[in-house]
Amino acid sequence: MQLRIERRMVPHIPWGLIFSVLAVCGLGIWNLASASRPPHSPVWGSQMGYLGISMVAVLVVCLVDYRWIQRMALPIYVGNILLLIALRFFGHTAKGAESWFVIGPFRMQPAEFMKIGVVLMLAKVYHDDFQPNAPSYSLTRLWKPVLVVFVPFALVLVQPDLGTALMIGLSSLTIILFGKVRWYLVATLVAGVFAAGIVIWNDYIRDVPEPRPTIVRHHLKKHQSQRISGWLDPEADLRGSGYHAAQSKIAVGSGGVSGKGWREGTQTGLRFLPEQHTDFIFSVWAEEHGFVMCIVLLVLYGAIFIFGLGVGFNARDRFGAFVAVGVVAMLFWQVFENIGMVIGLLPVTGITLPLMSYGGSSLLSVMLSIGLLVNISMRRHMF
Amino acid sequence: MTPPTLGNTTPGRELKRRFLWLGLAMVAGLGLISIQLYRLQITRGEEYAAKSVANFVKEVRLRADRGVIKDARGTILVDSRPSFDAFITPAFCTDCYEQVIPRLAELLQWDPDQRKKVEDMVRMGRRNAPFQPVPVRVDLSRDEYDRLAARRDILDGVEVAPVPHRHYRTNSVLSHVLGYMNEITQEELERLNGDGARYALGDYIGRRGLERYFEQRLRGTDGVRKEVVNARGQTIEELNDKLGDNAVVSPRPGSNLVLSIDMRLQEEAERAFPGVTGAVVAIDVNTGFIRALVSRPGFDPNLLTGRVTPAQMALLSRDPLDPMINRVAAEHYSPGSTFKVVTALAAFKSGAFRPETVVNCPGGYRLGARTWRCHKDAGHGLMDGFTAMKSSCDTWYYKVADTIGLDPIGEMGKALGLGSPTGVNVVAEVPGIMPTSAYHDKASPGGYTKGMALNSSIGQGDNNVTPLQLALLYAAIANGGTLYKPQMVNRLEDLDGQTIESFQPEVVRKVDLSPAHLKAVVDSLVVVAHEPGGTAYRARMNHMRDKDILVASKTGTAQVTRLGAIRLKTHQMSYFERDHAWYAGFAPADKPELAIVVLNEHGGHGGSDAAPTAMAVFQKYFDLKKLDATAPPPRPNQPYTPSSVTRAPSPDEAALTRRVRPPARLPGDEEDRTRATAD
Repeated sequence: MQLRIERRMVPHIPWGLIFSVLAVCGLGIWNLASASRPPHSPVWGSQMGYLGISMVAVLVVCLVDYRWIQRMALPIYVGNILLLIALRFFGHTAKGAESWFVIGPFRMQPAEFMKIGVVLMLAKVYHDDFQPNAPSYSLTRLWKPVLVVFVPFALVLVQPDLGTALMIGLSSLTIILFGKVRWYLVATLVAGVFAAGIVIWNDYIRDVPEPRPTIVRHHLKKHQSQRISGWLDPEADLRGSGYHAAQSKIAVGSGGVSGKGWREGTQTGLRFLPEQHTDFIFSVWAEEHGFVMCIVLLVLYGAIFIFGLGVGFNARDRFGAFVAVGVVAMLFWQVFENIGMVIGLLPVTGITLPLMSYGGSSLLSVMLSIGLLVNISMRRHMF
Repeated sequence: MTPPTLGNTTPGRELKRRFLWLGLAMVAGLGLISIQLYRLQITRGEEYAAKSVANFVKEVRLRADRGVIKDARGTILVDSRPSFDAFITPAFCTDCYEQVIPRLAELLQWDPDQRKKVEDMVRMGRRNAPFQPVPVRVDLSRDEYDRLAARRDILDGVEVAPVPHRHYRTNSVLSHVLGYMNEITQEELERLNGDGARYALGDYIGRRGLERYFEQRLRGTDGVRKEVVNARGQTIEELNDKLGDNAVVSPRPGSNLVLSIDMRLQEEAERAFPGVTGAVVAIDVNTGFIRALVSRPGFDPNLLTGRVTPAQMALLSRDPLDPMINRVAAEHYSPGSTFKVVTALAAFKSGAFRPETVVNCPGGYRLGARTWRCHKDAGHGLMDGFTAMKSSCDTWYYKVADTIGLDPIGEMGKALGLGSPTGVNVVAEVPGIMPTSAYHDKASPGGYTKGMALNSSIGQGDNNVTPLQLALLYAAIANGGTLYKPQMVNRLEDLDGQTIESFQPEVVRKVDLSPAHLKAVVDSLVVVAHEPGGTAYRARMNHMRDKDILVASKTGTAQVTRLGAIRLKTHQMSYFERDHAWYAGFAPADKPELAIVVLNEHGGHGGSDAAPTAMAVFQKYFDLKKLDATAPPPRPNQPYTPSSVTRAPSPDEAALTRRVRPPARLPGDEEDRTRATAD
C-alpha cells in the first residue's frame, strides 16, 4: 500500500463530482443549523467535525491505488461481517435495534460500512468472474453474487434494521441487473413487483367489508402493518402510525414555492417532526426553502449520480465500473427512499439522506464511497 | 506495467449502454420525486400551509367573568371564587387511555364510573375539538392540587388551571331563586351553539332561577387568545409574532343582576319562619317587586354546582320534603280561609250581600241532606261581614256560596290572578286552580254541584293557589285593584355599576272593584289583627312593637285530609296529615306598602303558626325603613356573610329525615274530605 499522487492523475480529478458533493454537504450543514436551532443541541458543529474527518479519510482513500483496494475487498468484506456478528454480542441497543458500537464518546454503526464492503466484494466477484463471450448470468451462475449479498443482508435484517438491509438489497440488485441476467430472471422480478403490488392492494386498499381476506397482512407484526397502512393513508391515524408521514407531508407542503425561510419553519421549530435532523431532514429543507430549492437539491443529487456514473463509464476496468455503479446505486436508492418517504411516496423506513442527515457513520461511509469514485476516476489511464 | 488486455480489464462496449440506461432510470426516479414535490408544494401548498398553522396555533379561550348577583342594596349574594380545575387536552394526551387517565384516576381516587365518564369525554373531545381542553375534575381540593402538581411530568396533556367557580354566599337561603349551575349536556350544546351561542364541552350553564333565566346576560362573551404550541402542547412564547394582529380578543364580562330582595328582610323572614316546609313571600304592593322570598326546605347550590356525588343527588331527589321544589310558585295549596276575601268581594259585587248582612251560625250550614261544618262546632251566633272575617266564620261564606253560586266567586278569583300563571318567569310556576262550574263539569265525576261552591268559598275543595298568587291578590286589594306581574330583578348593571337595563313595574290588569267594597274588606281585615278575638290579634300584639301601624290580616288553616268524627289535636296527627297554616296580609292598611303571605306547610293553625312570622317581617320592614331614612346608604359590593341567626332543627325535622310516609287513606264520605276549619 502506498500513498502517492502522480502528475498524470491530476487532469482526471472529477471536479464536477467533488463540487456537487461539497455543495450538498454545505447545504446540509446550513440546513442542520436550522434543524438543530435552540433549544436543541447545535449538532451542525459536530457535523462539521465529522465532515473534516471524512475529508481526511477521502484523501487517504484517493491516494491508495484502487487495485490494492481490489485485493483487499475480501478482507474488508469479511471484516465487516465479523463486526456485524460481534454486534450481536457487544452492540448497544437504541430504538429497538442493536446497531451501534459504543467506544468511549464515539458511536459507530457497522451496517453503514457493510454497504461499501458489499459493493466492493460484488465488484470483485464480477471482475474475477468475467468470461468474455459467455451469455448473461443464469440463475445457477448467480450463486456467488447472491451469496455475497445474502449474508450481510440477513445479518443487518435481524438487527433489525430493515432500512439498511433494504438499501443493501436494492443496491446489490442494481449491480446484479447491471451485470446482466437472463431475461426470465428479469421477468420473474417484474412479476414479483407486480404481485407485491397486488398483495398490498388486496390487503390494504381494496374496499371490502371486514374481515377482509388478507394474503400477507395477518403474518406481519402489528407495527410493520401499521407502517404500510400509515404510508397509504397517513390521515387515517394522525396520532399513531400515520403521524410521521402526515406531519412530514404537512411540513413539505406548507413550504410552498419559496419556503418559510431559514430557521422559520414551524413544523421544524415546534418539533412536530421527530427525527427531524436525521431521517426527516429533507422535510426541514422543503419547509424552509420551498419547491425551487428542493429542485436545486435534487439537481445536485442528480449531478452526483451522473458524474458518478460517468466515472464508471470511463473506468479502466470492470472492477472500477462495478464499484462506481454500486456506489451510485447505493446513493440513489438512499436518496430516493428517504425523500420518497418524506413526501409520502414510500413507506417510512429508517434511512438517512446522504450528506444531508446528521450522523457521523452515515457521512463517513458516503464520503468513503465518493472517495472510491474519485480514486477510480483519477486512475483511469494509469495502467 | 503490462498493457492491459482488452475485454478483461476495460469495461467493454456492452457496459457503456447499460450506464446510459442506469443514468436515465435514476433521472426518472428524481423526476418522480419532483412531480410529487410539485403536487405537495404547489398544487396543495395552501392546504398544507393551513394545516401547519392549525398544528401550532392553539386557541385558548379567555372566559368571560360571569356577572354577580346582588341584593337590592348591592350586597353580593353570588359571585365567583378562584378554584383549580384539571383539564385534559386530547390532542396532547399521548397514551391517554392506557397511562394518563388511570394515573389520574389513582391520584384523584375516581371510581370506575367516573373514569369511564372521563374517558368518554376525552374520546368525544378528540373527535370534535382535539385542542380544546376537556375539564375532567372541577374544584380541586388543596390536596388533589398538590398531588397533580407533583406528578405533572407523567401526566401528558393534563393541565391544572385556575377557573372561577360559582360561589353562593347565601348557602341554602334563596336557593330556588338564585338557582345553580352544572355542566352543559351534548344536546344543549348543539342546540345553543346552533342558535349562535359559543359553549364548549364541559361548560357550566345556569339551572333554575336567575342563573337559568339570565344565563345569556350573566354569561358575557368569551374572548380568545391564540398561542403557539409545539408538538407536545407546550406554549412557545417567543414565536407569538407568527400569530399576526388579532391574537387576543378580550372577553366581555357578563352583566350583574341587582335583585329587589333586601337581604336583611330576607334574613328576618328566614329567622322568623318556624316551619319545616313552607313559604314566605313579601311583595311591594305598589310595584309587584318581591322583597323577601323563603321556600323551605332549600338546597345548597354550592353543592349542586360541581362536586355533587350521585349519592347526594339521589338523597335530594328521594327526600319526601322535595327540597328542589320552589314552594312559593311551583306548588299549589288550598288557600283555606285566606281565600275568604275573594268570596266576600264576590258577595258584595253580586249585590245580594252587604257588609252588614247578618247570617246566623249554629256551627254549620245545611245544604240538602248534608251539613257543612263551621270550624267552631258550637257556632258563632249572629255574624255580619266584619265579624265573619274577624272570627273566620265559615257559615257566613257558605251562605254566600249557596246564594250566588260558584261562578261569581270563581270569576272574582280569576280576575285577581288565581288559576293562571303570574308571569314571574324567572322561576318555574304552576297556575293553581280556581274552580268554576265549567271546571267542575269537566273535571269532577257527576259534574258541578252546589257543595263544591261551598267548599271553594272557604278555600277548600279543588281551590288551589300558590303563595305568590295569594300575595299578588292581597297586594291588589291593598292598592285598589291593580294586579302586578311579580318581579325580583331591579336592574342589570355592567362592571362599573352603570345600569344597562332596569325593570319597571308591569301591570297585568286593573280589576274593577268598587272602592266601597274594598274598604269594607280592608276594614274587616284590620279588625282581624286589631280587635281582641280576631284570629291574628295575638300575633299582632306579641310580634309587632309599632302599635300605630295598621296591619290588614287574614289567617287560614287549610285542611289536608278529611276530618274524622272527632277533631284531632295537631300533635295527634302524623306530619303529612296536619293542616297548612296560612297568613296573608299587608301593612300599613291605610297606606299599603308591603304584602306578606306565609304558608307553614303542615304547620298547624294560621293564627299561631303563620301570623307571627308575618308580623315579625312587617316589624323588620318598618324598622329598616326608619333606619334607611337616616343612615347613609351602604357601600355596595360588600360580600354577603350570613348573620348568626341559625335556626335549630325542630324535632319534626329530625323525624322527617327518618322518612315519615303519608298514611293510607281512611274510609269515609268523599265530600267530607274537603271540609275546612278556620281559627
